[in-house]
Amino acid sequence: MTAIDVKDLKVERSGKAVLHGIRFSVQVGEVFALLGGNGAGKSTTLLTLLGFLPVAAGSVSLNGISPSANVKKIRDQVAYLPEAATLYPHLNAYENLGYFLSLSKLKLSKAELDATLEKVDLQTDARSQKMETYSKGMRQKVSIALALLRDTPILLLDEPTSGLDPVAIDEFNRLVRSLAAEGRTILMVTHDVYGACQVADRIGLLRGGELVGLFGSNEGQKIDTQTVHKAFTERTGAKRAVS
Amino acid sequence: MSQIVTIAKEEWRYWLRSRLVKIGLIVFALLLILTSALTASRVSEIRHDREHQQEKAEQSFREQPDRHPHRMVHYGHYAFRAPTPLAQFDPGVDAVTGQSIFLEGHRQNSAMFAEARGNARAGGFGSLTPALIYQLFLPLLLIAIAHAAIVREREAKTLVPLMSQGVNGPALYLGKGLAILALIMGLSLPALFGSSLAITQGESALTALSLYGSYCLYLAIWGSLILTVSCLVRSRGIALGLMLLVWIFSALVVPRIAVTWASYSLPSEGKIITSMRMNEDLRKLGDGHNAADPAFAKFRSNILAQYDVDSVDELPVNFRGLVAQQSEAELTATLNKYSEKRMSRELEQSTRLDRFGMISPYVAIGTASRSLAGTDLSTHHRFLRETEDLRFNFIQDLNKVHIKKLSYADDMARNKDEEAGKRARVSSENWQILQDFRFQPDTASTRFNRAAASLLSLLIWLLVILFIGLFTSRKLQP
Repeated sequence: MTAIDVKDLKVERSGKAVLHGIRFSVQVGEVFALLGGNGAGKSTTLLTLLGFLPVAAGSVSLNGISPSANVKKIRDQVAYLPEAATLYPHLNAYENLGYFLSLSKLKLSKAELDATLEKVDLQTDARSQKMETYSKGMRQKVSIALALLRDTPILLLDEPTSGLDPVAIDEFNRLVRSLAAEGRTILMVTHDVYGACQVADRIGLLRGGELVGLFGSNEGQKIDTQTVHKAFTERTGAKRAVS
Repeated sequence: MSQIVTIAKEEWRYWLRSRLVKIGLIVFALLLILTSALTASRVSEIRHDREHQQEKAEQSFREQPDRHPHRMVHYGHYAFRAPTPLAQFDPGVDAVTGQSIFLEGHRQNSAMFAEARGNARAGGFGSLTPALIYQLFLPLLLIAIAHAAIVREREAKTLVPLMSQGVNGPALYLGKGLAILALIMGLSLPALFGSSLAITQGESALTALSLYGSYCLYLAIWGSLILTVSCLVRSRGIALGLMLLVWIFSALVVPRIAVTWASYSLPSEGKIITSMRMNEDLRKLGDGHNAADPAFAKFRSNILAQYDVDSVDELPVNFRGLVAQQSEAELTATLNKYSEKRMSRELEQSTRLDRFGMISPYVAIGTASRSLAGTDLSTHHRFLRETEDLRFNFIQDLNKVHIKKLSYADDMARNKDEEAGKRARVSSENWQILQDFRFQPDTASTRFNRAAASLLSLLIWLLVILFIGLFTSRKLQP
């Protein structure tokens, strides 16, 4: 069953074409990674799915709903993890989570927040400190916790492992796989070839706003990192992929 | 609705954790409280003084000894304008128009001031009124606190996660707006307190609460404008710069252009030229002290014909008194013609200035505030007219005493014959003709009607900005 369907999507920003008719779909319970270098159109794809950018041509739908038709319903069904882990520096982890969740009309107890923060491995003593004292990785953990706490069927993750240390990345990858096993659909964009190969069922390779390659299958076959790495460096023109 | 309240609460939490905002709020709160207390105390003291001085002046006039009634015409009398209870919030034109006037025969004096002592004692704070703080400085505080309300979210990239939680542009705009509204209501508390105090001092609830409401409206205009700009621009520096430019334009530039334009488009004759022209007209009227002045020849023949006598000595009334009465009437008509012309021009200029309220809320609130407080130009003009009526009435009443109670022969011989001089005095009981004078502010409905146009332009300002803001916020994108 298709959860995310992108058909011949064209998007323009400031009158300039950024996506040139990309086409892919993500099945329910699947982890799909869009891999690409800077300016490939990864974040633009996510922002279009969230309804922040208009579709110039083609179509997108999430669980059969187009963002242009009902953006509110889309945002109710989707948890979005932004690249920069943008949370409020004057608030602590509990306050940040409480604020964002209350905007989604969710009221959770401190124990429930603690359970999720435990899941993302944020130190107990850090949780009551203002976010301005957090490292990038700690902020990322709170953002991930927020995405998890919203308990939505679809997760859109923008560079989710950026700023995390290798141990935290491994933990994050396990978390993503367990979420997929629960039936959640996950679309992540990244330039981390190794991480994408570790966690994704399928990988789409973006270059200059075009989808230039698709790797993997829905049958749980392991994606060959070397193949993707080679394709990434060749097809995206990157001299060195992150690994 | 819950989203809007949540956003508003969060904005307040942000403000309360900002040292700059806290310091700004404390400084302004102290300034407001201090200025309100000082102005209230000063106005209350002035009101008490003027009421006391009015009673004293009336008592002093009525207690004068037996004397020639025309000496009482020149002894004169004082009239005082006690400030309205709301003048403790907005003293309006009082500071530039004078509040007491010396009334005497043959002259219309200008109103005088008695403020220098008060200002010096208050170390200059006397001129910094609560109205001025609300009109001029609170918009600056709102700009400092709220200019980044929305653009901050854009700059910090929290707009995407915020909107991905289902918050749309109008909800964000209204949420931040609610926070600013709560801030405005908090900052308006001293105004509410001042209005309530005025009600306890006899002010009408309609004007007092309208005054409070008009300031809430005025600050809401600034709040919505700040928010709309914050929604439109992409950096907080631009938002701050733009709002400061709007403030400078609205509060400093437009009022001065308005004054210049009003006086340029409706020039008033200079005081010297007016005085020369008026004196020329007055000279034609003759000297009322001199019954033999040729200017009264026709009047004399009319009177002789009326009483069917051949000379003024045969008249059953005092001819000198009749001349004084006639002279005063003609002189007053001429003086009134000039003063009405001057007041009419002042009012025209003021009305033209008020029209600038359509392009500056600062001008509109100033007009509304003065009208509601009863400290506007119209009220001052009414004071001048009422005191002129008082002056004319008691002068003419003294002239009536002169006509009826003093013989013409004794009057003519009073400087040559000591006995005649004694007989030319009338009883001090006649000084009771002086009417009590207590200047009353206009009724609440009159003041409200006078402020209505400015209040309407403030309301239009708010609705237009809110419409633009909400329309803009619908298109809000990260």
